[in-house]
Amino acid sequence: MSDFTIAAGVLTLGAAICAGGLGWLIVTAQRWRFDSDVAPAKGSAAKGILYAFTMGMLPWEKESARIHRVAYVRGVAFHLGIFLGVAFLALTPWLNVLPLLVRLSFSAIMAAAAIAGLAGFWLRFHDRMLRAVSTPDDYAALTLATLFLVSGSFCAAHMELLPLFWIVSGVTLAYTPFSKLRHFIYFFFARGFFGLMFGYRGILK
Amino acid sequence: MTAGVATANIGGLKEKLKALIDRKQLASLEVCVRCGICTESCHYYRSEPRLEHTPFYRAEQLRKIYRHLFDPVARRFHRWFNSEVPSDELLRQLAEIAFSTCTLCQRCTLDCPFSVDTADIMRAARALATATGNAPEMLVELADAAIAKGENIEVFKDYYLDQVKELEKHVQDQTGSSKAAIPVGKEGARILYVPLSGAHTIVPQAVLFNLAQESWTLSLFETSNYAYFLADASRARRIAQRIVTEAEQLKVEEVVITECGHGYPVMRWEVARWLGRRLPFRVRSIIEVLDEYLRRGALRLNPRNNGQPLTYHDSCNLGRKGGLFEEPRRIIRAVAHDYREMNPNRIYSFCCGAGSGLVAIPEWADIRLKAGKLKAEQIRQTGARIVVTSCDNCRHQIGELSDHYGLNIRVTSLSELVVEALA
Repeated sequence: MSDFTIAAGVLTLGAAICAGGLGWLIVTAQRWRFDSDVAPAKGSAAKGILYAFTMGMLPWEKESARIHRVAYVRGVAFHLGIFLGVAFLALTPWLNVLPLLVRLSFSAIMAAAAIAGLAGFWLRFHDRMLRAVSTPDDYAALTLATLFLVSGSFCAAHMELLPLFWIVSGVTLAYTPFSKLRHFIYFFFARGFFGLMFGYRGILK
Repeated sequence: MTAGVATANIGGLKEKLKALIDRKQLASLEVCVRCGICTESCHYYRSEPRLEHTPFYRAEQLRKIYRHLFDPVARRFHRWFNSEVPSDELLRQLAEIAFSTCTLCQRCTLDCPFSVDTADIMRAARALATATGNAPEMLVELADAAIAKGENIEVFKDYYLDQVKELEKHVQDQTGSSKAAIPVGKEGARILYVPLSGAHTIVPQAVLFNLAQESWTLSLFETSNYAYFLADASRARRIAQRIVTEAEQLKVEEVVITECGHGYPVMRWEVARWLGRRLPFRVRSIIEVLDEYLRRGALRLNPRNNGQPLTYHDSCNLGRKGGLFEEPRRIIRAVAHDYREMNPNRIYSFCCGAGSGLVAIPEWADIRLKAGKLKAEQIRQTGARIVVTSCDNCRHQIGELSDHYGLNIRVTSLSELVVEALA
């Protein structure tokens, strides 16, 4: 059995566990009650949701982003890198037809995001309060996400490293539904609920 | 099995928490990555920087229990994922955190990149504390007293009406009209006005209603709903139901809530949800009504009567939860001429430190005075001599902050400020 076949197997298994686990989380979330506002609206829920996913994400809209400039920029860079990394993973079956410039662009972006991932360790160790509340899962999740970016960056530059990228991706995907990595699913709900309430109640002008 | 497991009755606790948490709270419980960006959003932390005062630490105390009850993997690998058996001691600690170190001001939600609603998580923690008998007795007693009043209104009614007759004389003095009245139980009135227990929430408003020739009637009940602070929807619904029933019996067009922080969002938003139906009347704050009076020139005012520098404190419930930011400022600009803003203000205003029932619990006075240090500094920086606020809890707290931090200010409400500006 070749390295390539083993890597493809790990990736497929990881993707299946991830899809099944996240699907289960989404289905079970529907079993919790949903309390929507019944009173007449004072503002627009749609505008609130739009704000939550657009202007409301911008750093100058948040006092915290001004105070934690480095942490905020690091977080944005890290997450953008992961999204691009996932896109790159989806493109890997056609890796050999991707233009070199595109591959090197992916490589550079994922490398920058990986540095942001490493900076995450520093921030978590450096801040005594974050250190106090951090769990082993926090470090494991950060390690896997950073390894995913590092291996993706190397793979984009050196195609022969594809099996390594697939194995790291498979392990990361398999870990996702059981760990804090699953927060990306709830992100859309949490921002949506925020926009819904603040918009409907006319709090966001 | 530990003693905690046996006494806390895990199965029952799981059922309770499942019934108390909704999808919005579930998302907030799950989405936090403990990045720490929210840290300085909290007035507790700004006033006294320590781990226990960070929003993420507070929320993590409920998350530990949530993970144990609802996440089998986290339960099995509890050290890895930080889950914990909900012992009686843990539940007691959670209750103390939820009631004494978070005023549910929701400021951190704005600052969180993921919109984690820590206030909502703490509300769930309060609900759990109430359901497990760990809530502050004072709040439970106040809520039960309000329910008892609703069930025995005939016992209280005559005494209340006598008191209102006494207050009516003050209204006649201030309006200069012997016809000025405080009607109670007037069927067909346009407005049912719901005060707090205190003449300062009846007399100035009665003066303004009379001068504006409003069709109104005074409620038999007060707007405060201590069960809301307990996050006890069942008790809170019963307390609010008294006003809904009164409004429906009197066939009023709208219910107007006095200057009360939580009273407004409770009646404006929560009651309809609790009852599962739209109310057959409009709900507004007295702030909105006064703003309307001033805009249509229903009151003759002289802003020179209010010459001292003044500032406005945005109550979290009226502002960040009620959207009333510009109405109070329009009123102040119409009745005073040296208005100074605190910074930050409006949606980013800091809590005074007494919100969500903290002011009602005497043994926590020290906690709230420390938490109010930031507000005291904000007020001092404006150089204002008068602080206007539209929440009675904020008013009480800012008065005490003035004494504690030597601010030498007077605290008043918008209604009183408007009365002082009457020509």
